[in-house]
Amino acid sequence: MALLNRMDWYDLARTTNWTPTYVTEDELFPPLMSGAFGLPQNAWEKYDEPYKQTYPEYVKVQRDKDAGAYSVKAALERSRIFENADPGWKSVMKAHYGAIARGEYAAASAEARMMRFSKAPGMRNMSTLGCLDEIRHGQMQLYFPHEHVSKDRQMDWAFKAYDTNEWGMIAARHFFDDIMMTRDAISVSIMLTFSFETGFTNMQFLGLAADAAEAGDHTFANLISSIQTDESRHAQIGGPALKVLIENGQKAEAQKRVDIAVWGAWKLFSVLTGPIMDYYTPLEHRKQSFKEFMEEWIVAQFERALTDMGLDLPWYWDIFLKDIAETHHGMHMGSYFWRPTVWWNPAAGITPDERAWLEEKYPGWNDTWGQCWDVIIDNVVDGNMAMAYPETLPYVCNMCQLPILGTPGKGWNVKDYPLEYNGRLYHFGSEVDRWCFEQEPERYAGHLSIVDRFLAGMIQPMDLGGALAYMNIAPGECGDDAHNYAWAEVYRALRAEKKAS
Amino acid sequence: MALFPLTSNFEGDFVLQLVAVDSENTMDEVAAAAAVHSVGRRVRARPGHIMRVRRQGGADFLPRTMRVSESGLKPTETVEIIWEAPKH
Repeated sequence: MALLNRMDWYDLARTTNWTPTYVTEDELFPPLMSGAFGLPQNAWEKYDEPYKQTYPEYVKVQRDKDAGAYSVKAALERSRIFENADPGWKSVMKAHYGAIARGEYAAASAEARMMRFSKAPGMRNMSTLGCLDEIRHGQMQLYFPHEHVSKDRQMDWAFKAYDTNEWGMIAARHFFDDIMMTRDAISVSIMLTFSFETGFTNMQFLGLAADAAEAGDHTFANLISSIQTDESRHAQIGGPALKVLIENGQKAEAQKRVDIAVWGAWKLFSVLTGPIMDYYTPLEHRKQSFKEFMEEWIVAQFERALTDMGLDLPWYWDIFLKDIAETHHGMHMGSYFWRPTVWWNPAAGITPDERAWLEEKYPGWNDTWGQCWDVIIDNVVDGNMAMAYPETLPYVCNMCQLPILGTPGKGWNVKDYPLEYNGRLYHFGSEVDRWCFEQEPERYAGHLSIVDRFLAGMIQPMDLGGALAYMNIAPGECGDDAHNYAWAEVYRALRAEKKAS
Repeated sequence: MALFPLTSNFEGDFVLQLVAVDSENTMDEVAAAAAVHSVGRRVRARPGHIMRVRRQGGADFLPRTMRVSESGLKPTETVEIIWEAPKH
């Protein structure tokens, strides 16, 4: 029997909406879970996914991709990349795996919610494949780092991170729980697949794969490329949902979800990706600055995605454009200064040559961030290490859960954005974080930041040791300078040269 | 006498920090407690300058001898610690 072409039967096979008779439509698709915005099933039947794929096609392609990625891993297992890689690159791997690997399973749950509860049949098909994607991503990103666990305990955080109260993980969980675990099917499609994946991860994974190849880590490059090709497909789930919402008079609600998710994604990017690109990557391997990357790959393509869709740019776009040149410098300084509290070893990235590069890419860097680094450098060079570590907690934002920071030195503009709500004083890192909280305060009000937990006596004893125990960072896992302060030798030599002359 | 948490926004530094003071501490003592976490760590000392305390966004400094309990500051409220040049 001749097989029909895919497009001759796809629409019919996909359109599997039932007309419920034994239960009501609301019982079949509880509004809280489906998030159908009050639109009837027939409105959602107009959902038309741009990336059409059937299950047999999916399985064939995925089997080929897995075979490719796993065979590259097997072939390169003896290449000693881990032993020979720059310590900055190892930190990139550790930060990435810890923050992302287990989150993929949360994403699988979010896709499963769309698969079961979306009223749009096309979305249910796409997210069935998307759910399988995310399980695959979780498995790969746990299996690949596992071979390094015996060499370096920090690699174990690929698995461990999500079960801890490490501050960065609280921030990551808070964001991912918000957009993936606690939203209805349609909101997940807008906030996870459109805002986070189309806007951010798809592009970031492209960049990360290129960086990995540049660093000689072809296993990681292959792994990331393999995942990115899935992302570029299932990231398309949210677009057609937005189209349905806009056509049915729901633009404002849709826009609000986009605006909240884009800001949260940006904040997470500023702490994970920004420092990696501008400080951890060895200078000779830097292709572009984080700001240039954001402007070329995220801002430009996201502006296009939004306007093509009939949405507006988020109201805070000017704040965002300014932020991409500033915030990650503070996130880097914060994660470096509080380095015992992270599961990787931050690379300082502040030799004279690196500073010259930073000044070129971010004019004024030496008069702002450089002023603080000068003090840190002097302490390290003088061996005054007690002053090169913290003795208190940075105050963190009650929305993004990341430190509240700004530009230091001569451009000092650090500011808190407080809000009193139901008798409790909340602190925010920006006007936008506060706005996100105000959109649905009851969603966020009960959450305790790491500082709130400290003040509530949940961290005992109330010192660094107590904090590390609370964050489950065992001895041997604490972060410290990636290069063991080798960079300080450059400054020692400069001092000696100056003295001699 | 009670432990009182404040949020320090120290001039020239890059981050807000949690600072524990006592409700009977004066503003000079608050400034000194905040300085422990910024000066010499990421902010250079300014010899001869005085560190003054003000509410975030406030135009005036709080009196140097004013106690936290008299200031109306709320727990965890953000105070700015500003270098004041010596008067000649």
